[in-house]
Amino acid sequence: MNYAELDSFYRQIVGTVRAGGFPCAITSGMACVNYGVVETTNDCDILCGTDGARGLLTTLQEVRVDGEGASYRGTMSAPLDTRWLRGGWTAHFVWRSARAEAYLDVFGVPPRGTGDWASEVRDLYAGRHTVAEMKRTNRERDWPYATALGAQLLAAGDARGWLHIFDLDVLEAFADRIPRSDSLLALRPVLRLLGDARLKQALHVEREFWFELDRQRLSIYQRAVRPYASAVRKDPMATRIPLSAQHAVRVEWAEKLLPTNPIHDHGVDAMIADARGELLKLFEPSLLQWLPDVRENFQALEKRGHD
Amino acid sequence: MTEKPGWLTADLCAYIEAVAYEFHVRAFGEQLARINFLPLEERKTEVRAMVEHARAMGVRHEKPALGVTP
Repeated sequence: MNYAELDSFYRQIVGTVRAGGFPCAITSGMACVNYGVVETTNDCDILCGTDGARGLLTTLQEVRVDGEGASYRGTMSAPLDTRWLRGGWTAHFVWRSARAEAYLDVFGVPPRGTGDWASEVRDLYAGRHTVAEMKRTNRERDWPYATALGAQLLAAGDARGWLHIFDLDVLEAFADRIPRSDSLLALRPVLRLLGDARLKQALHVEREFWFELDRQRLSIYQRAVRPYASAVRKDPMATRIPLSAQHAVRVEWAEKLLPTNPIHDHGVDAMIADARGELLKLFEPSLLQWLPDVRENFQALEKRGHD
Repeated sequence: MTEKPGWLTADLCAYIEAVAYEFHVRAFGEQLARINFLPLEERKTEVRAMVEHARAMGVRHEKPALGVTP
């Protein structure tokens, strides 16, 4: 399966779920290709409205690659079920044939996403703002994508682009030319330092903050998934076909062992405090005054507890 | 966003794109910067060639399945 065939394959899945009335969009690497910030990715991440989990599962059960159906990938994949998608888990799938492999990861809640991602969708892709928020990860390589998408938003007249530019030279190049509203400055205090010698250091601290938040977030999920992953690994029924049977096994173990929303259980404020605490080991406390209030970036997880 | 704000003049738009291109060169290298500014279908063709070349060289693009994604 070449890239064009994969692209068409994933678009077909998203289109089918949408036709069923649920929001669904391609995000991450393939969205970046669409937006002109190329990633050499072979797999596909999609955002799916959490209430659309059942419809998406039905679609995945029907879609074939060279006659082969989908399987869950790995023992840590959460079941594709509204309860776990709402809690920020990802479900992972693979199609394997002699000729081709296709990988699909499903999110119900975009990591760090603010607002309603479904209202930002363009064609079959998550909007630039959503994709850029998802790029504030603990991986160095993701950050230039955020900056590039931020510049594209500004070029389209969307001032939220200011929220995504993390490159010092780009920020300074735009500083005197593009206005910044008070509401943007409130969302991203480091923008108040444009033209100030403290900008470079504050920008570094801000990025470290997002890095640390992602490390904390991932470690919370990784701790929570262990008992479930161990049970799935030992269960011979977990890998049987068809997908519906694999799904039933995962749901059964998840109901016993996988908390639906570990960030909610841990507490968003506690996670943020942990990240700030790590920064205080590295930086002067005064530098933390320029950090953004990130609670809105985790609000979707804060509001949704156990079902 | 359907309506362009008053501050976005044609000159400013060209300036933003010039700064962005320079950034792409610095962040991704000259070859990817060139590809990034191609029309969509040409861009996809280039990505396909890169992915298939990498695959032929034994590179795997598969991400770990951790139940949570960065």
